[in-house]
Amino acid sequence: MTEEEKKKVSFFQHVKEFVYGVAAHDSARFAVKTRASMEHLFILITMGDMLGVPILPPYYSLRLLPYVVPQISTWKRRMLREKDLTDALA
Amino acid sequence: MNSIIVLILGLIVFFIGYRVYAKYIDTKIIRSDPKKATPAKMYMDGVEFMPTSKSILFGYQFKSIAGAAPIIGPIIAIQWGWLPALIWILGGAFFIGWVQDYSSAMVAMRNEGASFGGLSHKLISPRARVILLSFIYFYLLLIAGAFGNVVVSTAIGLKAAPMAWLLLTIGGILAGQMIYRWKKDIILTTVVCVLIAMVGIALGTAWPSDKIIGANLANSRVLWAIAAFVFCYFAAVMPIWKFALPINYVASYIVFLGLFFGIIGIFVSHPNLSLPAWKGFTIPIGPMWPILFVTIACGAISGWHSIVSSSGTARQLESEVDARPVGGGVMFVEMMLAIFALIIAGTYAPAEYGAAIAKGPGAIWAAGVSKFLGALGLPANLGSAYGSVMMIVLAVTIMQLVIRFMRVATSELLSDVSPVFRNPHVGTVVASILGIILVLTGWWQYLWVLFGGANQLMASLALLIVTAWLMSQGKPASWTFYPMVFMFVTTTAALVYTSYNLLKRVFSGAVKGEALVGNTLMGFVGFFLVIAALILAFEGVKAILRYRSLKAQAEPAKA
Repeated sequence: MTEEEKKKVSFFQHVKEFVYGVAAHDSARFAVKTRASMEHLFILITMGDMLGVPILPPYYSLRLLPYVVPQISTWKRRMLREKDLTDALA
Repeated sequence: MNSIIVLILGLIVFFIGYRVYAKYIDTKIIRSDPKKATPAKMYMDGVEFMPTSKSILFGYQFKSIAGAAPIIGPIIAIQWGWLPALIWILGGAFFIGWVQDYSSAMVAMRNEGASFGGLSHKLISPRARVILLSFIYFYLLLIAGAFGNVVVSTAIGLKAAPMAWLLLTIGGILAGQMIYRWKKDIILTTVVCVLIAMVGIALGTAWPSDKIIGANLANSRVLWAIAAFVFCYFAAVMPIWKFALPINYVASYIVFLGLFFGIIGIFVSHPNLSLPAWKGFTIPIGPMWPILFVTIACGAISGWHSIVSSSGTARQLESEVDARPVGGGVMFVEMMLAIFALIIAGTYAPAEYGAAIAKGPGAIWAAGVSKFLGALGLPANLGSAYGSVMMIVLAVTIMQLVIRFMRVATSELLSDVSPVFRNPHVGTVVASILGIILVLTGWWQYLWVLFGGANQLMASLALLIVTAWLMSQGKPASWTFYPMVFMFVTTTAALVYTSYNLLKRVFSGAVKGEALVGNTLMGFVGFFLVIAALILAFEGVKAILRYRSLKAQAEPAKA
C-alpha cells in the first residue's frame, strides 16, 4: 500500500470513527454501564461476604470464584471510587 | 459584510487558536506527555474507564456539547447587532472557551479521572462540593425550562414540526428494538429509521398540526409543554436503550445532514448580512454588558462542556496529547456552529427578524435552514419543516438527558429526607413539574438569559477548580485565572440584574397571574445561584491564597 493510499484509508477511518462517536458511542457506553450494574449485583450476591454481607453460603461463592476472580479488582475499584451527580451525565 | 467573510474569519480564529495558542499551553504549560498512562489505561474497567480513539471521542464530545444553545444564543444576541455578537463568539472561544473545555479534561485526567464534586472537595474545600452539586441541580432546572420553551415555541410557530417529532420518536423506538432486541443489521436499521424520520418531515408539511388537532390545540402552550415533558419522562424512567439513546441516534443523522448541507448552502448562496452591525447598548432584554455575554453561551464558552469533559471524556482519553484535539478542537467546531447560526439570523431583513424573534428562535432557525437548503434545491416548505425538527431535536435531546439526571440528583440529595425520593418516578415528576412551571410562566428571553448566566457561572467555577489545581502544581495560572475572574464578574452581574428586575416586578405588583409565578420562581432561582456562586468563590479564594502561601514557603530565600 502506497503512502497516499494509507493516508486515504486513514482519512476514511477517521471519518468512520467520528460518525460512530456522534451517533453510537454513547449507546455502547450505556449498554456496558447497564451490564456492569448487573454484574455488580451478581458479584454482591455471590461474593457479598467480601464486603461483610453473608448472603449466600460460601460453598456457592467458591464454585463461582473462578468466574468472579478476574472481575474483583475492577469491581472493588468501581464500588469504592467516589461518585457524584455528574457521573450520571456523561 | 458577506457571510463567506464571516465564515473565513471564524476559520482563521480556529486555526490560530488551535494551532498556536492551544498548542503553546498544551506543550509548554501543561506539558502533555504521550508516554504518561491516562486514567483510561490505569483504571480500565471496560465501562467508564476505557481507552478510546481520539476520532471517536471527537464525535462523542461534539455530540454531547452541541445542543440547541450554540444556535439559539447568537439568534437572540444579534438584537444588539451582529458585530458584538461575532466579536464575543470569536474572542470568547479563543480566550476562554477552549481553555475551559481542554483544562477541565486535563485536570480530571491528572487527578485519576475524578469528577468535579471530588475535585472541588480535594482542591477547594468539603463545603465546596455540596454547594457545587446543589448549584448544578438548579442550573439543570434552568436548562430544562429554557430548552422546553424552545420546543414549545417551535411546535406552535411551525405546524409541521409536531408530526416530524412524532415520526422521529417512532423511528427512534423502532431503532432500539431493531438493534437490541431483534439484532438487526445496523446499516439496515439506520436506513429504515432515518427514512421514517424523513417521511415524518414530509408528512408534517402535508398534515400540519392545526389540520389534525385544530387551531386551538395546535396553538396551546400547555399541550406542547406537557408533550415535551412526557417525552422526557419516558426518557428518564425507561431503560435507556429503549427510548433515549436510539432516538438520539436517529436524530443525530437528521442534525448532522442538516448542518452539513446547510453550510454548503451558505457557500453556494453566500448572502450578505442584512441586519445592522450595531443597534445600541441597551435592548429590551438588558444592556450589552453583561447580558450579551450570557445570551451567547455555548458558542463562546459553556459550563456544560466542563462537565462532559471531566466526567465523560477525561476517563476515555488514551493519551494526554489527545486532550487538545478533543477538548480544545471540538470547542472551536462549536464556535463555527454558532457562527453558522449568526449568519442564519444575520441574513434576515430587519423587519422580518423583528416579527420572527417575537415568536421564538425556532422560526428564525427554520427559515434560515430552509433558505440555505433551498440553495441546493430543497423546496422551501420541506426545508422549513427540516429546520424546525432540527431545532426540536437539538433542544429535546439535551432536555431528556437533563430530566434523567435531575431524577438521579433528586434521589441523591433528598433520599435522606424521605425514602419516597428514591423512587425514580417521583424524582422525574418533581423535575418535570418544575420544568413545566418555568416553561408556562416565564418569558422565554429572560429564561434564556438566566440559563445562560447559570451556564457561564458553571464555566467560571470550572475555571476556578482548574486555577486551584494549576496553583497547587506550581504551574502558571494566569491563562485560566483572568478568564475565570471575567466570567465570574460578568455572569454574577447578569444574574443579579435579571433576578432583580424579575423580583422588582413581583414586589411592585406589576405582574399578575402566570407571570407572577414565573417571575418569582426565576428570580429566586437566580438569586440562589448567585449566593451559591459567591460562597464557592469565597472558598476558592481561600484555597488560592493557601496555595500561594505554600508556594512562597517552598521558594528558597533570596540572597
